[in-house]
Amino acid sequence: MASAAAPSPKANMGAPAPRYDARLKVTGEARYPADVAVANPAFAVLVTSSIAKGRIERLDLDQARAVPGVLDILTYENTGELKPAKFGQGSSTSIQDLGPDIFQDGQIIAVVLADTFEAATEAAQSVKATYAAQAPSATFGSQGLNSEDAAKVSQQHEHLPEAGDAETAIGGADVTIDGHYGTPTQHHNPIELFATTCEWTADRLTVYEPSQFVYGLRNGVAQRLGIAPEKVRVASHYVGGAFGSKGTMTPRTAMIALAAKRLNRPVKLVATRDQGFTIATYRAETRHHIRLGARRDGKLVGYAHEGWEISSRSDPYVVAGVEDSAQLYAFGAVKTKVNVVHADRNTPGYMRSPPVVPYIFALESAMDEMAEKLGMDPIEFRRVNDTMTSPIENKPYSSRSLMACYDRAAEAFGWKRRNRLPGSMRDGEWLVGYGCATAVYPTHIGPAAARVRLMPNGDVRVQIAAHEIGNGVYTVLGQMAAERLGVGLSSVKVEVGDTRLPPAPVAGGSNTTASSCSAVLKTCDAIRAKLFHASVTANDGPLAGRNVEELTLTDGKVAASDGTGENLADVFKRLGMSTIEEYSEFVPDGLEPDAVADLYAGKLTMTGGPHGKKVMYAMGAELVEVHVHSQTCEIRVPRIVGAFAAGRLMNTRTVHSQYMGGMIWGISSALHEATEIDTRYARYVNDNLADYMVPVNADVKDVQVILVPEVDHDVNPAGVKGLGELANVGTAAAVANAVYHATGKRIHQLPIRIEKLL
Amino acid sequence: MATVSTAAVPAFARAAAAQAGASQTVSNPRAPVDATLTINGRDHVLAFDVRTSLLDLLREHLGLTGSKKGCDHGQCGACTVLLDGRRILSCLTLAIAAQGRDITTIEGLAANGQLHPMQQAFIDNDGFQCGYCTPGQIMSAVACVHENHANTDDEIREYMSGNLCRCAAYPNIVAAVKQARPLMQTASRD
Ligand code: FES
Ligand code: FES
Repeated sequence: MASAAAPSPKANMGAPAPRYDARLKVTGEARYPADVAVANPAFAVLVTSSIAKGRIERLDLDQARAVPGVLDILTYENTGELKPAKFGQGSSTSIQDLGPDIFQDGQIIAVVLADTFEAATEAAQSVKATYAAQAPSATFGSQGLNSEDAAKVSQQHEHLPEAGDAETAIGGADVTIDGHYGTPTQHHNPIELFATTCEWTADRLTVYEPSQFVYGLRNGVAQRLGIAPEKVRVASHYVGGAFGSKGTMTPRTAMIALAAKRLNRPVKLVATRDQGFTIATYRAETRHHIRLGARRDGKLVGYAHEGWEISSRSDPYVVAGVEDSAQLYAFGAVKTKVNVVHADRNTPGYMRSPPVVPYIFALESAMDEMAEKLGMDPIEFRRVNDTMTSPIENKPYSSRSLMACYDRAAEAFGWKRRNRLPGSMRDGEWLVGYGCATAVYPTHIGPAAARVRLMPNGDVRVQIAAHEIGNGVYTVLGQMAAERLGVGLSSVKVEVGDTRLPPAPVAGGSNTTASSCSAVLKTCDAIRAKLFHASVTANDGPLAGRNVEELTLTDGKVAASDGTGENLADVFKRLGMSTIEEYSEFVPDGLEPDAVADLYAGKLTMTGGPHGKKVMYAMGAELVEVHVHSQTCEIRVPRIVGAFAAGRLMNTRTVHSQYMGGMIWGISSALHEATEIDTRYARYVNDNLADYMVPVNADVKDVQVILVPEVDHDVNPAGVKGLGELANVGTAAAVANAVYHATGKRIHQLPIRIEKLL
Repeated sequence: MATVSTAAVPAFARAAAAQAGASQTVSNPRAPVDATLTINGRDHVLAFDVRTSLLDLLREHLGLTGSKKGCDHGQCGACTVLLDGRRILSCLTLAIAAQGRDITTIEGLAANGQLHPMQQAFIDNDGFQCGYCTPGQIMSAVACVHENHANTDDEIREYMSGNLCRCAAYPNIVAAVKQARPLMQTASRD
């Protein structure tokens, strides 16, 4: 059935098969980690610090201990056996101790354990902490921050993009733009809370925790507990939204494992929503200074971009999105710099499209300003600067369909109707603005291993520790196996999200489909090779003596191009086997051969984006209509059109949902989302779902997704570019540009709220 | 942006009335209380801490983990269940206050292995990604149709705004409600 949710596939696109796990999800049978039953669990409730900087002077636990049902309380005094994990190697932060030193507001200072959740909650509220507090530095503008050059403190970002002499190029340009931009703190707020259940069986630990990287978590927890990773199993079969927040190990996991060991009983934690703001990561606030230079005809000659990003006092977390923004157009000369600004805060971390969301907002806003100053249509301005070669080292793009996306989107949107003059379009009392911006996301790929089994009756089982976070990984891996092994999707059983299975990379950087599908493809091809070999080398049989090159596997048959075929069951008999099971490891070009061995040890290396011989990016164009009320300045987005190209699409249904959800995320970034900080205490104020603004159903009207066909043989064997983090990039700039078009006011600081337009 | 949720409201007022009728004297306020709850057509005789929310009771005492905890504060809708056919937030409802009422959870929606039209519509229209908000969305959507609040797209959007979906499947959820509505009406006429 073709519906908006299930677009008909075009060239190089897979069928919109319904989700493999759909039935389990609509019946409530899908077991998310907090749903897994363990025998007689104790319940854990966290206590977090109420200061951001200082020291615990006294912890009074008497009243808490007196609550009936309380079993144990972990504090800094009895958790010394936990070993530190290094930030940047799978751990979300260096702030791991329960005190006595306090480095951030909301740092975990006690874990209360009781027979019931109710008793643990009561006792947690009775824990009294007395602090020696110091004045914290909260954010940009606060006293006592310290700033460092990211290239000096972050190994990943030692070499930021540079080309030619940008100062001279911009200095001599016909037209220049010089602007400052800013993006706010944001929290992922998946609807699933941060939960952890730990259960020991003798010296073996099982951790049920929503995770985007089960192997990373397994090895991290083992290290903190000082046990062998082989003793730990992490199971995370369904993740209730993650958006980056569940990709690295947070301090809670080892604490809950230790609690379970001390009690000799399973322990269950479901952290509260407000605790989620401080016990995990977030998207840090950023500042940007951009300068662009162009010739009168619109050709860019120079781009300079300096960024500032907030991090914790201890850790140099930085996204450095200039690495991607610098590849986007034929800029001519490029100069970039990124600064990490340390404050007394929890350590930030990956949040959906971490590098590009803030940096592309700034760049695509500046691009619109430049188009305006040149008197050019903003789409035509981008066309003039479109390129198949990156300005950094002149590397070719593996494929790039940006202008095809703009053209498709512009046609569907009716961009022609746009009057270039700001404030010139109206609908009654509403000012109408049209704005556009580019979406871009680097194509990452990592190593992965998979095990696939085929039975004579066509039943298939696929095993790989990829992660189902709503990305549809069960479905697309099933489709890949079904296609290569010539069976129906309903014959394929898929298992993911468990360290009992061969490893896959973190579900981050939109690499999952590329990496995991490539591993499954390789494994299925090994099975095909076995079957084909048996068929052609037989003394008898319909395919004896044929060339394997002309064989395919379809509908439960090994078949030649002339239609001659042999049933699977017969080929199995010939082989004398009742099952074929293959395991294989996929290592992408450009990575070391031991990349999979590293993955087993929880260490991940990835490649792609700007790092290979060719630069690899998925791209899109987003066009929005904004209405701003002429009296109240209320802002509405009645419609948005996005056209995207990302190589081969495995399933148009799951892709459509990711793009649609992504664009709504982008609108949210533009207009709604921001974590407010009380700068006196370096504390998050709106740490709940009523005050942290995310879109509700009534906020979303017309969201149109266009899938633009694209073929790319260079990116990876599956031909797939990652796309889960594509559609929320650029949206905020498109909205800001439309707000300018409607009102003549440039808003450089997100989110765009009424008060900024008054 | 939070428009005011008119959708699911806690059953406090009615619960208080129900409790006043029950003359159970509790000397130790932390001692388990006995209660019988009717869930998906079956009676359950239970003893639990009187502070237990209906959500925690379903999840932790009965293994009915379809109802999800997303905030425990009545802000997300993931815990939505039906109480006497009316949608309520089970995290804001004390389990004890649900005595004598008919509780329907996501596990009780499919009949004899046959999906409810709303469940099928969520599959057909891809009304979810991660699926975590989905049981709450579906329970809310069923009630939304029964309340006669599903007549236009705008009405559906408004009356489904008490259920957050961070994956932002909203347009597909609206399409699912539209698909299921006539089928539910046919079913109830039969
Ligand atoms: S868990 Fe009940 S409304 Fe969020
Ligand atoms: S489907 Fe993920 S929150 Fe709704």
